[in-house]
Amino acid sequence: MDWFMGIDIGSGTSKGVIIKDGKLKAYHLLPSEANYRAVAQKLSEELLAKLGLSPQDITSTTATGYGAGSVPFSNQQVADIRCCARGINSLFPSVRTVIDVQEMSSQVIRLDEKGQVTNFVVSEKCAAGSGRFLKIIANVLRIDLNDIGPLSLKSNNPITFTTGCAVFGESEAISRVSEGISKEDILAGVHKALANKLSALIGRVGLEEKCAISGGGGLNVGLIKSVEEKLGVQLLVPPQPQLVTALGAAIMAQEKERLVASI
Amino acid sequence: MTKVVILDSDEEIRARVVGPTGAEHRRLANKVMEEALKQANLPFDEISYVIATGYGRINVPFADRQITELTCHARGVVSLFPNVRIAIDIGGQDAKGLKIRNGKLIDFVMNDRCAAGTGRFLEVIAAALGLKLEELGEISLKSTNKVKISSTCTIFAQQEVVSRISVGTPLEDIVAGLHDAIASRVVKMVRRLKIEPDVVFTGGVAKNVGVVYAMKENLGCEVFVPEEPLLSGAIGAAILGKELTLEALAKGETIQKKERLLEEVTFFG
Repeated sequence: MDWFMGIDIGSGTSKGVIIKDGKLKAYHLLPSEANYRAVAQKLSEELLAKLGLSPQDITSTTATGYGAGSVPFSNQQVADIRCCARGINSLFPSVRTVIDVQEMSSQVIRLDEKGQVTNFVVSEKCAAGSGRFLKIIANVLRIDLNDIGPLSLKSNNPITFTTGCAVFGESEAISRVSEGISKEDILAGVHKALANKLSALIGRVGLEEKCAISGGGGLNVGLIKSVEEKLGVQLLVPPQPQLVTALGAAIMAQEKERLVASI
Repeated sequence: MTKVVILDSDEEIRARVVGPTGAEHRRLANKVMEEALKQANLPFDEISYVIATGYGRINVPFADRQITELTCHARGVVSLFPNVRIAIDIGGQDAKGLKIRNGKLIDFVMNDRCAAGTGRFLEVIAAALGLKLEELGEISLKSTNKVKISSTCTIFAQQEVVSRISVGTPLEDIVAGLHDAIASRVVKMVRRLKIEPDVVFTGGVAKNVGVVYAMKENLGCEVFVPEEPLLSGAIGAAILGKELTLEALAKGETIQKKERLLEEVTFFG
């Protein structure tokens, strides 16, 4: 009985992992859509099926993320900030700052050598400060979200968005397209705009190296490059940045169990 | 929108035209002008002075002079409501608060950086709900229990509203909540000017009775809305044009005028 599950119901994508002895054994991702309970259930079923396990084999499950309250089979809920910090610490023990870029929010987390959160700041008021801005512009340009990063790297002359608002930004992108500006330059511009917002966010908690990126934003090479240029640091990128928080959740389930066992 | 007002020497409105601006129309100030001249039944040569204002004021090749929208707007509002002390204008792209004392603009606040708190907020969400902008006001008046919209961002509010619909919240309560959201956001900004009556509310959003009602509620005082809330800037521009002409006449100077030609702007290439 040493399997642990982490379920991260995000605003865009839901992620689940199963670990054993702190090692990732299975993961699964699904779009969150409207019914968080159904998504959580489905994630659990898929994960268990991948390992040929039954629900009873899981010692403990931690739910986290936007819809953490909608995971009826979880043993505990932990804030995603803490899970993200714990997850990144397990992957990169030397990291002291994480930039977590999600669909509907971004957060910058400072953590210590044990993976404990020492400070954090969240941007959730404005779509232009989250992955949503990239999605909106990708949509205007009719380019798959997965392709915008690589495409933007071909730009020589990124456009500047004038307002810092995703709604006005959408109109600006449409105007630039009609003026014949290349998609590469528009995409490089939106990555720069988001990098500027993230940089302002980092300014509020301070940047301590080493710095990592997590969340869906960590899949985007264009965003990574823009953030690195803006901050003048190199970012550590996990192999599966979207899974960091779910991984941290599973690790916290395991650590809690050990703590209980040791009493 | 592009608006044209033609005033006579008694400041009576002889023509008023509202046409779209848009990306394709921005070179078409001449078309709107042509329509206004037709309405007033005047040849262009009869127009003593033309003032252009607004975002696109440089795109009017036949204008004799350009004046900022803040100045024109203040002048227009004062002519309509001489006791105005605070003028609030909410348009499709921005929201402004003007502090006016003794008919003069002395301070202002403005948001043109974020769609929330501008008419765009309502445009985006009305589209998501499949409603026309003009319908919103009337729908909201039926509300008995307006919802609190928790998102500030237009994009997130749109999502919030759609999920409200899916759980069966009455449409009128949602729309009333949206009106309150935009009003409270703008009033919060304008409070930096210290609000004192009379308060005048203009711009395209002032045509929405639901927002007018929400503005009254948020301000805690009466709000005056001109009959044509879109035209106050253009009226102000026309009045300033008349004043400049009379001033020049009084000094015996000749006023510089452009040739009265109605041609498309060509500098866009």
